[in-house]
Amino acid sequence: MKPSSAGESAVDLFESRLIRGGTRLIADLTEFFRDYRVDDTTFTIYARGSTRNKGFLLSRFFAWTVLPNYSVSLFCVDEGTALLTTEKVRKGVDTVTRITKDEDLKWAWLVFFSNRDLPPPIVSFISRFDKKELGLAAASTSSRQVVLSANQVGRSIGRQLKLGKAIGSRNTWKN
Amino acid sequence: MEKLTKTQIPILASYSMPLVLLSAFAINALLIAFHISSGTLRLVLLAGSFPIGFVFGRLIYTRRSHVEIQFDDSTFQVMRGSREVMTGFWKSYRIVSLVLDQFGKPNLRLYKTKGGEYVDLPISRTNAEPQRFRDYAQSLVTGQRPRGISPQVAEAV
Repeated sequence: MKPSSAGESAVDLFESRLIRGGTRLIADLTEFFRDYRVDDTTFTIYARGSTRNKGFLLSRFFAWTVLPNYSVSLFCVDEGTALLTTEKVRKGVDTVTRITKDEDLKWAWLVFFSNRDLPPPIVSFISRFDKKELGLAAASTSSRQVVLSANQVGRSIGRQLKLGKAIGSRNTWKN
Repeated sequence: MEKLTKTQIPILASYSMPLVLLSAFAINALLIAFHISSGTLRLVLLAGSFPIGFVFGRLIYTRRSHVEIQFDDSTFQVMRGSREVMTGFWKSYRIVSLVLDQFGKPNLRLYKTKGGEYVDLPISRTNAEPQRFRDYAQSLVTGQRPRGISPQVAEAV
């Protein structure tokens, strides 16, 4: 599979997968914003939804009776050719953590895209990150490297959101 | 003004099929009246119920449910059938998003304020490419010059 077509970046491809229901097994993301600004942080993608799927008749009845209705969100930052630093990741984590509290989210995903190789401090920071309600990931579109945080929500970025496929990576780097 | 539209086949079929059935009954009654009860001619004449049903179905669909979005760099207008259901200025809105409906089809949502009043443009019922149209609308809402690309997909209307 091609990582991205001529006019479509990895971020576009990742969003396109999410719009087509890439997270359906774990959460139903229903609204997608681009270049969403929160204070001084601009998220390339901001998607929000809940863990209760909509579906039709039986699946809707099942979701309504069995599944919990937690609010969840996905945030994505595209650093482009700029160097992804631990400082930027920390700032993103702080902003998302604050939004998680303010909007009473059960969990959130935060994904960083970079056109450069991921620096070792970033790999170390993200792979050691284990906060329960925030899944963290970074992906390099040049080296096709993906780093996921060591918690359940972080691992789901690889399994459910299929971040690796969006950048054309076959192997997910794990700590 | 640019125009986004697409014939919604399932809705057209839902209007046409009862009319196909009705016209088949009517043709059958005529055939009985004219004592044409067997042979190829009977089948050929009965098959005429399909074009008749679809022509009338198409008329009803066009008058009631056909969605058309017309827009330029300053305004947009949504037509459903022969009615104008929405009109507005891009500049009246501040935030643009793609929102999935209950069937997972993406529509465009325009917010006047963050988390406040909004309107939905039913782009899933047109030939618009959702992400490109969202980016295009966002560039108009934020006041940036829209890129030269048309948000319309290449498929036939």
